[in-house]
Amino acid sequence: MELLEYGFMQRALVASLMVGLVAPAVGVFLVQRRLSLLGDGLGHVALTGVGVGVLTSSAPVGTALVAAVLGAVLIELVRARGRTSGDVALAVLFYGGIAGGVVLLSLAPRGQATNLDAYLFGAITTTTAADVAVFAVISVVVLAVVGLLGRRLYAVSDDEEYARAVGLPVLPLNVVLAALVASTVVLSMRVVGLLLISALMILPSAVAQLVGRSFRSTLYLACGVGVVVSVAGTAGSYYTGTPSGGTIVLLAIALFLVVTAGVALRDATARRRHGRQVEVHAAHPHEHGEGCGHRPVPHGDHVDYDHDGHLHAPHRTGTGTHYDEHSEHAVVPPVGRDRP
Amino acid sequence: MTDPAIRLSGATIGYGDVAIVRDADLTVRRGEAVAVLGSNGSGKTTLSRGLLGLATVLGGTVEVLGAPVGRLRERGRVGYVPQRHTVSGAMPATVREVVGVGRLPRLGLFGRPGARDRAAVAEAVDAVGLADRLADPVAALSGGQQRRVLVARALAAEPELLVMDEPTAGVDAASQAALATVLARVAAAGTTLLVVTHETGPLAGVLTRAVVVDSGRLTYDGPLAGAGAAGPDCHHPDEAAQPPVRGYRLDQPRPAPDAVRLRDGSR
Repeated sequence: MELLEYGFMQRALVASLMVGLVAPAVGVFLVQRRLSLLGDGLGHVALTGVGVGVLTSSAPVGTALVAAVLGAVLIELVRARGRTSGDVALAVLFYGGIAGGVVLLSLAPRGQATNLDAYLFGAITTTTAADVAVFAVISVVVLAVVGLLGRRLYAVSDDEEYARAVGLPVLPLNVVLAALVASTVVLSMRVVGLLLISALMILPSAVAQLVGRSFRSTLYLACGVGVVVSVAGTAGSYYTGTPSGGTIVLLAIALFLVVTAGVALRDATARRRHGRQVEVHAAHPHEHGEGCGHRPVPHGDHVDYDHDGHLHAPHRTGTGTHYDEHSEHAVVPPVGRDRP
Repeated sequence: MTDPAIRLSGATIGYGDVAIVRDADLTVRRGEAVAVLGSNGSGKTTLSRGLLGLATVLGGTVEVLGAPVGRLRERGRVGYVPQRHTVSGAMPATVREVVGVGRLPRLGLFGRPGARDRAAVAEAVDAVGLADRLADPVAALSGGQQRRVLVARALAAEPELLVMDEPTAGVDAASQAALATVLARVAAAGTTLLVVTHETGPLAGVLTRAVVVDSGRLTYDGPLAGAGAAGPDCHHPDEAAQPPVRGYRLDQPRPAPDAVRLRDGSR
């Protein structure tokens, strides 16, 4: 392929592969915790780090990482103290981070390459071999921590109060998660830019949660979606000449809309099929209850009634009670999703 | 094992520096099944949250399983069923995954669940009668079944003390009966139960002792049977004689369902 012949494109594709894999692996926990915008806040803080890096002529990736991790730890401590709401703390981070970055970058001496756009919107084709090495280290560390602590991060993100009550180390786990987010932010900075940073963490998770059944499968699916949109978006941006970040994010949103429509369609057909089942017993006004003459069969949270060789499972609908068929004698096979 | 399961002595519990429960004395021995009764806002939930380290102990001592609360050496000895009607977080999760969280405190910082843990999860799910739903997404379960999943999560820890907040609220009669069966089995196995509730009816066969909280003070401590009649409204004996006031009142009496039935003469 033509685009693989260029060194900068090879590095860009490797970088986007790593970002696509890592960002959703952290993002699922943020979505679960309903803290989707934390990544954005930390992205803004990272800009201050970039400013510091440019001013002191050190590697902006390193200073951005330090700034983002510090910001992440700070916000968790503020949240744990409970004096300021997480919402306000996030807002302070947003504004302080971006203002600090803009001011610091404007102070940079003339002649120094201070391409603000490259950090705000991503400039994946400027990725150097050294950047790729740093990204690889960050990716391995983040994935290793998620692999090691994933269950506990899930527990804390899912039900923080329960985790605290049973004695899980809630604050350290939250700090770890925030540090993971900060690392991912710095990793994605080059690919999608600081302004779109959360998109790669959140959108693949949003797609995966529509179709996933378990948390684990949703996590893997989100990573898969992340890799596909990230690599495809980067490759696509080469041919269309558009910025990689925006292309990736638009691709992810398109995928989200398609999957949403697909799931809605599937549910609608399932409901219609379910509706047709009712007609089997339309001419059947009998309402089951205690002592109705049919043998009651307790089933989960409701009672089925043995009726003419098949089981009736009463469930309430808008138009009154109707009966699902289940058991092996069922006239019509039960519809999986609508089982009451 | 001679330490009481719960020991409160002159305990004041609240949030920040606002005291909700004041000067409470209570000792629950191992294996007891205690109901904490009281109207909304009486402080019964705060009392239970104080035992879990979720509310602040502002004075006195609160000891759980022989250790001051919040400094439990051995994790996973306390089970907790929060006052939530549903499980579902933002992301999908199976029954197995949600209940598996209950085992985590026992695994230390980096431990991975082994065969013993998987068996405990399966047992806990089986105990609440959802064995056939182990691999199903929790979101596909009914509200009553989701509550039972939360109970299973607490049971999976094989706790010595099980604290439950309103486990029967908003749950249909069949699920309440199923829950009562589970709790009877858990209590029989020697686990100490503390159930915060305002309706003892469904669990009357399991809970033996009752503590009534009213305006942050413990006003009754004795057999459960006595608490129904001597419920939160027994401190205002003249109230029953007053003509019933229509509409909502700030001091709306909330008698236990048993008490209502007794007064109706329907039992």
